[in-house]
Amino acid sequence: MPHPILQAEEVTKTFDGFRAINALNFYLFSGELRTVIGPNGAGKSTFFDLLTGRAKPDKGSVRFAADDAAPSVDLTALNEYEIQRLGIGRKFQTPSVFAEHTVFTNLVLSLNGPRGVFASLFHRLDSIARDRLDALLKLVRLDDKRHWKAGLLSHGEKQWLEIGMLLASEPRVLLVDEPAAGMTDEETHRTGELLLSLAGKHSIVVVEHDMSFVKQISVNGQVTVLHQGSVLCEGKFDDVQSNQKVREVYLGRGKH
Amino acid sequence: MLRLLVRFSFSLALLLAAALVLRAAPESAAQPTARAQLIAALIAAPVQQVAAIRALVGVEDAAITPALTAWRAGELYLVTLADGKRAPAMLAPDPGVEGQRIALSVDTGAPLLDYATGKPLVFALNQLKPLDTTAPLRRAIRDVLEVAGVSDPNPATRRESIERLGQSRKAEHLPLLKARLVIEKVFAVRSALADAIAFIQLADVDPKIRLAAIGSLAEAHSLAAAARFKEQLAAKPAPPADESAAMVSALKKIEGHWQVVNFFGNLFRGLSAGSVLLLIALGLAITFGLMGVINMAHGELMVVGAYATFVVQKGFVSAFGLGSTGFNFYFIAALPVAFVSAAGVGLLLERSIIQFLYKRPLESLLATWGVSLALQQTFRLVFGPANVQINAPSWLQGSAAISDVLFAYNRLFVFGFAGLVVFGVWLVLNRTPLGLLVRAVMQNRQMASCIGVKTTHVNMLTFGFGSGLAGLAGACLSQLGNVGPSMGQLHIIDAFMVVVSGGVGNILGSVAASLGIGTVDQLLQPVLGAVMGKILVLFAIILFLQWRPGGLFPTRNRSLD
Amino acid sequence: MSSSASASLLDIEPRFFTRAQWASFLVPTLILAVLLPVFNALLPSENLLHPSIFTLNLYGKYATYAVLALGVDLLWGYLGILSLGQALFFSLGGYAFGMHLLLMIGKDGQYKSDLPDYMVFLGYKALPAHWEPFYSFWFAALAVLVVPALLAFVFGWLAFRSRIKGVYLSILTQALTYAAALLFFRNDFGFGGNNGFTDFKRVLGADLNSVETRRGLYIASVLLLAFVFLLYRWLTRAKFGHLMQAIRDGENRVLFSGYATARYKLFVFVLVAAITGIAGALYVPQVGIINPSEMTPEKSIEAVVWVAVGGRGTLLGPILGALFVNALKSWATRAAPELWLYFLGGLFVTVVLFLPGGLISIPGKLRLLWAKSSSKAPAADSLVVGH
Repeated sequence: MPHPILQAEEVTKTFDGFRAINALNFYLFSGELRTVIGPNGAGKSTFFDLLTGRAKPDKGSVRFAADDAAPSVDLTALNEYEIQRLGIGRKFQTPSVFAEHTVFTNLVLSLNGPRGVFASLFHRLDSIARDRLDALLKLVRLDDKRHWKAGLLSHGEKQWLEIGMLLASEPRVLLVDEPAAGMTDEETHRTGELLLSLAGKHSIVVVEHDMSFVKQISVNGQVTVLHQGSVLCEGKFDDVQSNQKVREVYLGRGKH
Repeated sequence: MLRLLVRFSFSLALLLAAALVLRAAPESAAQPTARAQLIAALIAAPVQQVAAIRALVGVEDAAITPALTAWRAGELYLVTLADGKRAPAMLAPDPGVEGQRIALSVDTGAPLLDYATGKPLVFALNQLKPLDTTAPLRRAIRDVLEVAGVSDPNPATRRESIERLGQSRKAEHLPLLKARLVIEKVFAVRSALADAIAFIQLADVDPKIRLAAIGSLAEAHSLAAAARFKEQLAAKPAPPADESAAMVSALKKIEGHWQVVNFFGNLFRGLSAGSVLLLIALGLAITFGLMGVINMAHGELMVVGAYATFVVQKGFVSAFGLGSTGFNFYFIAALPVAFVSAAGVGLLLERSIIQFLYKRPLESLLATWGVSLALQQTFRLVFGPANVQINAPSWLQGSAAISDVLFAYNRLFVFGFAGLVVFGVWLVLNRTPLGLLVRAVMQNRQMASCIGVKTTHVNMLTFGFGSGLAGLAGACLSQLGNVGPSMGQLHIIDAFMVVVSGGVGNILGSVAASLGIGTVDQLLQPVLGAVMGKILVLFAIILFLQWRPGGLFPTRNRSLD
Repeated sequence: MSSSASASLLDIEPRFFTRAQWASFLVPTLILAVLLPVFNALLPSENLLHPSIFTLNLYGKYATYAVLALGVDLLWGYLGILSLGQALFFSLGGYAFGMHLLLMIGKDGQYKSDLPDYMVFLGYKALPAHWEPFYSFWFAALAVLVVPALLAFVFGWLAFRSRIKGVYLSILTQALTYAAALLFFRNDFGFGGNNGFTDFKRVLGADLNSVETRRGLYIASVLLLAFVFLLYRWLTRAKFGHLMQAIRDGENRVLFSGYATARYKLFVFVLVAAITGIAGALYVPQVGIINPSEMTPEKSIEAVVWVAVGGRGTLLGPILGALFVNALKSWATRAAPELWLYFLGGLFVTVVLFLPGGLISIPGKLRLLWAKSSSKAPAADSLVVGH
């Protein structure tokens, strides 16, 4: 059995009396590509917030372990940038790129490396980093727009740029929130392929609504269904799709 | 138009004042015997004067105090009249042409007339020599004056001189004080009399009376007695053991009482300062908290309300006269006027500038600061750079006292009024269609406009409403402090702090924060002084925001920024 | 180097200055710092090119204002922090140096005492212990840097740590300034109360009223401005500069990219406070007085106006703005004193509403207009590509 790189146990988070996350248990294994689905308000984004330090759980533990040998780290004690530096990167639901900066600068700012004040003051791009950036630009198909202001990109391009920024930081874990939103079918499919190619080297959690996209990326992996802040069921895409409880709360709700 | 109104009201006020003075003048021709005694004493030969003056001790007459006061100050003169008689006289305080002053009769206070011409007698200061006094004479005068105050028609003066007599600790005053206690009707003066008597009795030869006096002074929570007890306890030889014990327990009782009184007094002042803050901050909580507009001119909108009150007051003075029953209602009329005029200025501001800056809060701060400069200058040009005079209606003057804690009526009013306004705002926001629209627009401007809400109208109305609240705050503030062109600047920073620490966009938070800040400020002031208290509160707020960056009642949202 | 590589080099690490930029920086600097003082010293006063010492003094004052404005701009235009407390740091530098200047009066004060006049007046018997080290010029110079920086550090650490930003931060800085002004207005705070410090006589042994000293102070102010311009230019380029602007546009995103944004903000805030303190220290001997009215929130907002009027987010804009608004002020307060506030208020509103880019954006706008009217081709392309 591979080692869980991320583990959340009995996690609860309430906002003004509303239980966004309720006694959630979640394990992500190294190299896995996990897809998380669930109706609106199931707690998907809050779950990501808890993993990345944007919110702190009321109860429960969230731990990260880089590999079997290393002791696991309590993520609830860390803040956003510390978690990011551990190697947990996040792509947000709404594309968040630096709109006033060029595509290239967006990637430079996301590069892995020293992040201190003085490191930035005396920063110089070496040729290795420059080659990496060129490769990344090609990967996300923005090399001809490298000098565009990011704010001028289309919605889908911004999504790609943000995925590129995520990759530039060389994370161990990628948390990807609705990557296909605003993309054409062709772009969506390509995104799926990209994610599939990243699995194995990276551990990935994808939150998504688009079922054909979910089906595409979960060919080898598991699907987790969140409902009212807890895991409703977990399994292969087809099993989940045929699960009666899931059909009730999520897929077939309109049919009743 | 305005200037005409003002001029009209001015002349009316002048006329009124003149009438009052005329009516008051012919009213001094009583007690010829006491007066004659006084005049005789004044013009008596120096040898007999001391005895003649001493004879006036305890005599009640309105003319005695001014005449003897003038004498002591060297401002009483002997004037030889045309018929050869000599009369004591005072000179009118203000000189006429070439420094000539009218001589006033000690008897009636009216001008002395030249026997021949019938015109008032006038003198220059250097023409006359003031009446001499000698040391024994001055002592006699002092004794007369000391006692005269006890029967003064003004209760406040009475109380003061009674307290002075008590402090003098002279047993010879006891009969006078006891006699007065029998006829005195005013409660406060009666308790002052009782205290003074007990105070004098502290030095009585009879130990029983002394003990009883200690007890009654403790009962009366007399601060002066506390000071005296401390003195006596520290003195050598110490007072007898039973008296010492009585004094110690009396001290404890008195000091305990005043601690409680001061605490509640400060608490009340704090709550009322807090409710003033609340009134100012409520408008801000709406324009800043709900709309995200940093209106640096909010303080000036408040000043608009204060000046509106001033103008309404002027109108009422010219219509009904100062101090009349009608005048007393001016403040009621001023409240809606203040609201409407500040709301009007606010609407103008919103239409002309702020509507373009909803997405740029920091810039709305700059633009409205520019507006505040212009408004301040306008106030200066229209109303003058000095503070204007606001007369409180009679029902807002004075205070109620509950067990020595004073509750000023104007502060009580502001406290209650702030409560009403909070309730009103809550009603408007939560129980009216406008409130629903406001909340919809404030939460998501674009979405609201998509579902057909006329956001421009809602913005306008909301901003106008918030500005109107500032006007109400200004009207209330005019009853508590000075009204001047820069009064807005004094309060704006405090009000912003309230909104920030209360949690932006939350009315309840603003209520809690303003009352909290006002009270803490007032409770700190006696310990640290006004400025240090204020600074400490500011730092406390900064530290508080460390603990709760969103304020008392933070609002959450799900987007990244 | 391939063309794409040099393009990317341009993108993230622009050359510090091009040759033309060096020229346009050095020429005015040399004119102001060398030529004007030389003309002042050598040309006869009736010569048209002779700047009076009064003029130099005025320019020197403006130069210190410009440094203040540059600090406001670095924080506001680049980092997104609208600090309404910059006048406080300026005044703290001024007060720290003023303490030294006050002690240098020696026995030449009104009361012929070793103590500063106001201390004699308030009945001090001896110099308070914390004044003692200010006899040393170098200690005072250090304090000019350290005192504002320390306050900025404590305040900034608290504020940035708890992620107070935007208008909340502005209001808190305003409150801080307000509190400090209240404190300095008090006599018992020990810094001269209302009247502050004045009647300075000499600095480093030189007579403050002599033409030579005043010329020296002017040159120092201009050189400070030039140095600060270069320093901020260096800060705003390359990765650090991009990060500052990224924090301005979306701090949370920077945080999730692994940067401790609070430290970046604190670094810039403290650095700017120290530099603003130096400007204040140069300002005080040139105007001959420092009092608490210099540190009120209004003064801070005025400095923000200079930046807004000149053009924020550029380094030339604040300098232009400081010169323009202050020149306008000294003209208007003489020509129409009661209208000055309307002027200033109107300027504010106009710039915010109609010229968000400030004066410095006018040439660009005109060029755009010109381009639009001369060719009907869509101008969008040139906007998008930029380079």
